[in-house]
Amino acid sequence: MSAGLAVDDAAWASAWRTRAPLDKLALCGGLVVCALVLPAWPGSVLVALTAVVLALGPARVPARTFGRAVRWPLAFVATSALTAVVSVDGGGLGWAPGAAARAGDLAGHSVAGGAAVLLLATTTPMSDLLPALRRLRVPAAVVEVASVTYRLLFVLLGSLRTIREAQADRMGYSSVRRSYRSSGALAAAVLTRSFDRARRMQEGLAGRGMETGLRVLPEALPSSPAFLAASAAGLAALLTVGWVA
Amino acid sequence: MHIAEGFLPAPHAIGWTVAAAPFVVHGARAVVREVREHPESTLLLGAAGAFTFVLSAIKLPSVTGSSSHPTGTGAGAVLFRPPVMALLGTVVLLFQALLLAHGGLTTLGANAFAFAVVGPWAGYGAYRLARALGAGLLPGVFVALALADLATYVTTSLQLALAFPDAASGFAGAAVKFLGVFALTQVPLAVAEGLLGVLLFRVLTVSARPDLERLGLLAPAPAEERG
Repeated sequence: MSAGLAVDDAAWASAWRTRAPLDKLALCGGLVVCALVLPAWPGSVLVALTAVVLALGPARVPARTFGRAVRWPLAFVATSALTAVVSVDGGGLGWAPGAAARAGDLAGHSVAGGAAVLLLATTTPMSDLLPALRRLRVPAAVVEVASVTYRLLFVLLGSLRTIREAQADRMGYSSVRRSYRSSGALAAAVLTRSFDRARRMQEGLAGRGMETGLRVLPEALPSSPAFLAASAAGLAALLTVGWVA
Repeated sequence: MHIAEGFLPAPHAIGWTVAAAPFVVHGARAVVREVREHPESTLLLGAAGAFTFVLSAIKLPSVTGSSSHPTGTGAGAVLFRPPVMALLGTVVLLFQALLLAHGGLTTLGANAFAFAVVGPWAGYGAYRLARALGAGLLPGVFVALALADLATYVTTSLQLALAFPDAASGFAGAAVKFLGVFALTQVPLAVAEGLLGVLLFRVLTVSARPDLERLGLLAPAPAEERG
């Protein structure tokens, strides 16, 4: 596998990649808010279905990527929802009143919200979202630091995999003791490499006359009035059905 | 493990966002000032953010045989100070939410408070205390990383307990439950992260001494000879 992250790869390959980031942010933000405020039944179910259908349908996100990405959050949701509905009473454990309904409620909100965020994540690469943050008045320096973080991430993840593979080939993880030594050396190697990369990039940019900041030409991704109108209509319908039902 | 999207009720999500905001804004100001004075810091700070993200991708060999991941914010707090980590930690959380589906957007405030504010400050406080009491760099790093890891999970547990008080015993009962599930199980992993930190900094004192000196962690002129 490449050094990429599955969700990021999906975002670059998505059919919605060329849509305006703020359009997608509006749609997914709306879905997230719906997931949060609508009652779990039928609101959460409808939001989750909408997000999944949009992702797998028009946005053409691979179902496998979408499914694999929700595994971790689901583990958290299952553990926490279960803990929330177990009642501690005088040293004994038991189910709180209405435990099943409450756990379902929690899981519903969470799965719906998670699906909505994942719709944004699997259709919009970070490098499109970060300039959009700039338009939401986040300071330029902060957006730049975040952009460098994003771009260095893949270089470092690549280094991490290569070094770990080399260590494993030299029996670096054959015992707990060795695993610790190898992990420490791995973390140190990644840190020194990241500093080294940053320094070399800095020197290269300084040599090209960088004074104020990293300027890149933003790709023109025009907003679509039709997409925005459809999003607004869909969200309004979700809110109406969610409240009335 | 971060609180998943949509798990916290809206008032809690908003409340924790408001609580974390001043720290993150303070960190952002520190970063803006740093970048204005030294434009070259952009790349170094970006590298620090990427390192924190990647550190959380290293599998920690745990005593029980299963593996887990370090939080990575303790090392950042010692290297780059907590205000900067408040911002970098939040950026890392945003990336984890959007690249790995760990955490979420409405829970970003709550997670930032635990992961980017309480963790780094607890770790850095422990580091400064240990150094003030005469401990060396490595013992200081151990307590910093272990405590930053543990403090993050204790905070997450308390946030969940506040949002979901127990039907019979209220907040206290819920705190016991969530601490038992999320913080108690984290103790061996916090120790493991502390150990990883010691090994990391031991390598760094040999291979990246100028960096540690520049960050003020080691005295510029090496007094002792290592051999």
